[in-house]
Amino acid sequence: MFACIFIPDFSVQAIIRFEPELRAHSVAVLTRRPPLEKVVALNERARQTGVEIGATKSQLEAWENLVLRARSESQETSAHAALLDCAQSFSPEVEDTSPGTVLLNLAGLEPLLGPLPKIARDLAQRVSQMELAANLAVAANPDAALLAARGFPGVTLIPEGREAERLGDLPVDVLLESFSSGFSSDAAEVSRWVETFDRWGIRKLRALAALPEVPVSERLGQPGLHLQKLARGAVSRNLRVLEPRLIFAESVELEYPIVLLEPLAFLLNRMLEQVCARLSARALAAQELHLNLELAPTQPNGCASFTQMPTQTPTRTRTPKFTRTLRLPAPMLDAKVFLKLLQLDLQAHPPGAPIVKIHLSADPARPRALQSGLFQPVFPEPEKLELTLARIAGIVGEGRVGSVELLDTHREGAFALRHFAPGEPASKLEENAKEKMSAVIALRLFRPPLGASVTVREAKPVRMRCLEREDIAGEIVWTAGPWRSSGDWSEQEGWSREEWDIAVAAESSCQLPVSSCQSNEREPTTGNRQPATGLVLYRLVQDKLSGNWFVEGMYD
Amino acid sequence: MYVELHSRSAFSFLEGASIPEELIAVCASLGMPAMALLDRDGVYGSPRFHLAAKKSEIKAHIGAEVTCAAFPPRCLRGGFRLPLLVASRAGYQNLCRLITKMKLRVGRKEGACASDLDFIEHADGLICLTGGEEGPLAAALRQDGPQAAFEAVKRLTEIFGHSTFGPSNVYVELQRHFHREEEYRNRVAFEIAESLHLPLLATNGVNYAAPRERELADAFTALQHHRTLDTAGRLLSPNAERYLKSPAAMRALFADVPQAIANTVELSSRLEFTLNDLGYEFPRYPVPEGETMMSFLRERTREGMQSRYGRADAELKKRARRQIERELSLIEKLNLAGYFLIVWDLVRFCREQNILAQGRGSAANSAVCYSLGITAVDPIGMELLFERFLSEERGEWPDIDLDLPSGDERERVIQYVYQRYGQRGAAMTANVITYRNRMAAREMGKALGFDEDTLKRISAAVATWEFKDENDALDRRLCDAGLDLTHPRMRKYFELCLAAQDLPRHLGQHSGGMVICEGRLDSVVPLEPASMPGRVVVQWDKEDCADMGIIKVDLLGLGMMAALKDSLELIRNHYKEEVDLAHLPADDPIVYSTLQKADTVGMFQVESRAQMACLPRLKPERFYDIVVQVAIIRPGPIVGNMVNPFLKRRQGREAVTYPHPSLETVLGRTLGVPLFQEQLLRMAMITANFTGGEAEELRRAMGFKRSEARMKVIEEKLRAGMTRNGIHGETQEQIIQSITSFALYGFPESHAASFALIAYASAYLKCHYLAAFTAALLNNQPMGFYHPATIVKDAQRHGLKVLPMDVTRSDWTCTLEPSAISHQPSVRLGLKYARGLREAAGQALVRERSLAPFASVQDLARRVPELRKDELTTLAEIGAMNAVASSQLPVASENRNINTHRRDALWQVERAVRWSGPLLDELPEIDGESPLAAMTHEERLVADFRATGLTVGPHPMQYRRAEMKRMGIYSAADLAHLPNGRRLRIGGCVIARQRPGTAKGMMFMSLEDETGIANAIFAPDLLQKNRALLISERFLMIEGILQNQDNVIHIRAEKVSPLRVTRAETASHDFH
Repeated sequence: MFACIFIPDFSVQAIIRFEPELRAHSVAVLTRRPPLEKVVALNERARQTGVEIGATKSQLEAWENLVLRARSESQETSAHAALLDCAQSFSPEVEDTSPGTVLLNLAGLEPLLGPLPKIARDLAQRVSQMELAANLAVAANPDAALLAARGFPGVTLIPEGREAERLGDLPVDVLLESFSSGFSSDAAEVSRWVETFDRWGIRKLRALAALPEVPVSERLGQPGLHLQKLARGAVSRNLRVLEPRLIFAESVELEYPIVLLEPLAFLLNRMLEQVCARLSARALAAQELHLNLELAPTQPNGCASFTQMPTQTPTRTRTPKFTRTLRLPAPMLDAKVFLKLLQLDLQAHPPGAPIVKIHLSADPARPRALQSGLFQPVFPEPEKLELTLARIAGIVGEGRVGSVELLDTHREGAFALRHFAPGEPASKLEENAKEKMSAVIALRLFRPPLGASVTVREAKPVRMRCLEREDIAGEIVWTAGPWRSSGDWSEQEGWSREEWDIAVAAESSCQLPVSSCQSNEREPTTGNRQPATGLVLYRLVQDKLSGNWFVEGMYD
Repeated sequence: MYVELHSRSAFSFLEGASIPEELIAVCASLGMPAMALLDRDGVYGSPRFHLAAKKSEIKAHIGAEVTCAAFPPRCLRGGFRLPLLVASRAGYQNLCRLITKMKLRVGRKEGACASDLDFIEHADGLICLTGGEEGPLAAALRQDGPQAAFEAVKRLTEIFGHSTFGPSNVYVELQRHFHREEEYRNRVAFEIAESLHLPLLATNGVNYAAPRERELADAFTALQHHRTLDTAGRLLSPNAERYLKSPAAMRALFADVPQAIANTVELSSRLEFTLNDLGYEFPRYPVPEGETMMSFLRERTREGMQSRYGRADAELKKRARRQIERELSLIEKLNLAGYFLIVWDLVRFCREQNILAQGRGSAANSAVCYSLGITAVDPIGMELLFERFLSEERGEWPDIDLDLPSGDERERVIQYVYQRYGQRGAAMTANVITYRNRMAAREMGKALGFDEDTLKRISAAVATWEFKDENDALDRRLCDAGLDLTHPRMRKYFELCLAAQDLPRHLGQHSGGMVICEGRLDSVVPLEPASMPGRVVVQWDKEDCADMGIIKVDLLGLGMMAALKDSLELIRNHYKEEVDLAHLPADDPIVYSTLQKADTVGMFQVESRAQMACLPRLKPERFYDIVVQVAIIRPGPIVGNMVNPFLKRRQGREAVTYPHPSLETVLGRTLGVPLFQEQLLRMAMITANFTGGEAEELRRAMGFKRSEARMKVIEEKLRAGMTRNGIHGETQEQIIQSITSFALYGFPESHAASFALIAYASAYLKCHYLAAFTAALLNNQPMGFYHPATIVKDAQRHGLKVLPMDVTRSDWTCTLEPSAISHQPSVRLGLKYARGLREAAGQALVRERSLAPFASVQDLARRVPELRKDELTTLAEIGAMNAVASSQLPVASENRNINTHRRDALWQVERAVRWSGPLLDELPEIDGESPLAAMTHEERLVADFRATGLTVGPHPMQYRRAEMKRMGIYSAADLAHLPNGRRLRIGGCVIARQRPGTAKGMMFMSLEDETGIANAIFAPDLLQKNRALLISERFLMIEGILQNQDNVIHIRAEKVSPLRVTRAETASHDFH
């Protein structure tokens, strides 16, 4: 016998699980980014008040007592994980069918857990303890159990041999919703099935089950026959059993709390070596490393950097925990590298309290297997590269290291940071083209731009003084510009700026070569002449929205 | 001084954000004496630009940016746009021909490009600029550097001519939008100009009139590239500098090159051409040797007069002769003989080809048109005002519109015009599609990256009712669609929607307007390929053509003309009778009694709810009453409060009085109430001494969109004239009120008379040949006020048997079949009513059936391979295959149809479409009968409406009548017997919703049940309260007060609720 646990309105229940007080309210779950959020899930109370899937946030303003929540994938993942835990606590054979739905084999459990009705009730009770309201069905085959759980509320038991009779009352839609992915991945094809059954007047599974088989096969082919068998509750199959996760973890409980990194590194090294040896024995490598540190509860205030990571079951203990995760760019198996990476990470993110327990685990993955081309330049080893990047990140801060990618916008200097991964080198031709395009004059940018005070006469800057650097100041003897740009006007963070290329009489060593600065004449317009001798060229920028001036860079 | 010589308007379609009038308005405010419009690949906006400039006393230079693929052999490989300015009429003609040539070389949606050979051929009279960032100089510079740019400009001088001593035809263009890259280009341009001795020219490459319009321009750019504003990146403009700048600003910007500014004035003075000098000539009609066009016209008119007035009394004949002579003299004086002959020739062609054709509009005021057979109304007998058609003072071409049967026959006439005047001599007028609320909301949503669901919701929510109150404002509608307009991004979206209003989006084709030309039309205006093969379309719309003095003939497709023609054919074939529309019995009592009862569903012009509400009060008794009936339900008479006084006077409840004794002759026929445009013109002529031309000016001001100022001027003239004639005070006010209210649309009497003829004919055919008329109506849908479903139900209520679609009997169109129980034939629904069934497949089915009957569903599927699975399924679903499906059942042949139901056919179709190969092809059905249950009546209704939009079975309400009675719901037929003022409930299927602009926000709704149609009126507050319900529900129960005035029955709604009758998707005809 098989049981199916199905959580109706799973997205809503996953949220209510963390906010049980919402159970008494109408709840709608929204998705998409503002301002175009839409309802994607509802609880029964909300449905009864007339709220519909697809309604927008502002349309929901009419419902006074409706609670709105954004869809939370992490809460759904947690809820589903809890569901799996619950199922696994009853049976070793559990199928992870879909989010909010699990199947479990009850064969042989009766002597241990009692008769089937009791097991079903106990399962339902256990699920409800996890703050989830489930439909639960027990039947002789997994698909019949699944159909019954999706179609009937509460706990349903279908005696063997009476599947067709009991399932007959269910609408055909339940069958198509439950198994559409089994016979077609194309939504249009599924809707064609729905239309065909509708045209034939087949509304209940009983009607589908009653059709003669050969004509059905002539008309609907093998998928049709399969659906008919499902409708009769006559499909027998094995569960796609959830393989127990390979766990590569080591834990150490300390007699005395550790406060320094060095003894911690010593312990970590031993643990990493153990983990790597176990991985190696199975010809696996590590893709992620998770370090969980249990901290001494005596210094709760020192745990400023604690990271509250979601765990599989909500923790009831008050012991502070500290968790770090290292995601590796490629599967690796080098305890020394792992240790160095963990050290660098802990230096950047100290636990902030004495450590009383260490738990280290690794997510296994197949090791990297690739062969470099004979004529390809040698890239750094991924392990070393990752180590280097981690070192840099330790110095400059997280999120400040990677490959810079220019954004397609007129906004000056707009870029995004991608994880650094060496690519193919540019061809000679491209390099030549770049060389050809490159400017003869270089602009050295100040990062961040230096604030400046500027005197403007007749809409032109005539004098400037840098607020942060005294050496950048003086009469502006030559200007080119303004160069205007603006954009993102449809966003709240619209921008508008005006740039000037200016020449200021040189006071420091940043003088222009004499040959390029022959005229001392003040250029009144857009500056198509060279500036005067002994001048320094700057790029001066005014943010037109705030009115602030900046020295953005200096020309060589 | 500075003249802007490079600007685009919104007629560059998605590349400009201001209409030409706006550009001119800003140009005038900046004090610029002239300006040039260079739209992309056309002169679409030039008439509006020219007219606006004329009013502002600005010189409008014409030109275009012409897309070019490449300049061989080595310079300029990629595409660019060449800005061309027109210097002379020859230049304009060259530009038009150049654009025509490139446009007609490729299909409608393919990108047209000119080649250097095209430019060489058409260079004369054109002046070329080197362009901005899309110009040839910039393109060459981008590709291969300064040398290539130099070569490109040199090539331009070779093409367009360059004189060392005289003025050059190539100007090196400088633009400054505050970009560094642009300044680099300008430096190269300086050097090229210097080395080639070419003049510099400063322009601003204008894309919009004011800086704020940059946002809309950016949204257009995103749409043009099928991106969103977020993903368009550097395709968007870097700043907002492409606006129309003042001469002072431009002088300051180009202070270092003053000659570039000075050259704009010099070049402007060289551009002599304006659109005043278009050179259009209407074609001459070829006449036999020894004849002039005038003598030929006289002869044709004389012949026509003989046949029209041959049997008339002497007095009428005398008046006709006198009037015709007067008209002919005027035609001769205005040199219009050719025009009349050309229209006569078209009508003659129609007659020869047996195509119904009838002139409408003011042409019906002309006795010459009547004699020539162009119109069907006798203007002498009806005393129509000739000046309404043609006047000496007006200096305008007369307007002759021909109504033709819509569809193939109209197309034949159009092709005749092409054949007669050549592909380059005739073209359709364009129809400029402009942004309205719905399109603006949708497109701007796309630009902002809204998902398809949101866009659909917005489209559905944006109301397009004719009447709009504060609840219909766009922001309210967008809020209803669930958008939060307080969010800054949404606010921006709303602003964009408003800014896009009325801007041109793309060019369509006008349904019937044709322009013809002596010589080559492509020298007057560029031509483009139309979507229909074999047609070309000019770049100007109807109004623009009229403004430019280009004469057009409207060949309008009228569904009813086609229905009348089809009816005659069906009558000939099935009733074996010959009906001549020109000689129908004039006073048929059945027709008038039917009209008086407002039993007019399907009849031309008198079937609408408003017409039905008027007919029982007006009680037409003769033809002229129908003329009045057709004219009275128009915005002009309704807003001018002329309807009720007229009806009261007609019923004898109010005395007939006249605003002034002098108007008795004019208003006598309409009981002292002006109803027709001619009457208002005559009133102006009598009371204020208006001349015919002044009266025509008044007509143009009436109903003309941009006429408020004009109307004011005329009103003053009217007042002055009346005061001179001693008409003062209240009388004067009353006359002014009558005239000005016609600023809203009203019918001329001649037009109403032409329409009344068709209305009478349709009524006659419906009353006497219901089967033929109903089949013809169904075959010519969409047309009229009602959906086919309502037409079928109405015909059934009148005793007609409508047979369901049947693949063994139905043709593509609806046909007639003899009836065993009635003298009247039955209508068989045609295959065209099966939704999704392609005509080619339907015709193939009919063709194959004519060879041999279908033995089974499988036989049908095999012999008509054109039928797709979905088409076969649809046919089976609506019962059209029942007869074939029965042949497969193992029952005695004489009992066949008895046990067959739609699902038997569906069951067999599903097997037939899964062809198992030749081996098993002949294998019989194993189990014969299908295991599927027959459809319930509800399922049949759902299938019928889903697949045909109608049902020939009982009305959905009939199945629920008992339940309705229990709910206290009266049927439509009950209402006539209930007392006025009674509170009651009605219920039915919503078949029409209407919110006319003249009804002060009231909404009218028609509900249909099995007994007829009931009408309800909703006050604005009730509508607002139940908006979603009233707009979206298919069946409603309405509670309210019965109003029965002179047998015109309405329910004044007080409460409304949805009625659950069927899931069938019935449709309502909503008037927006």
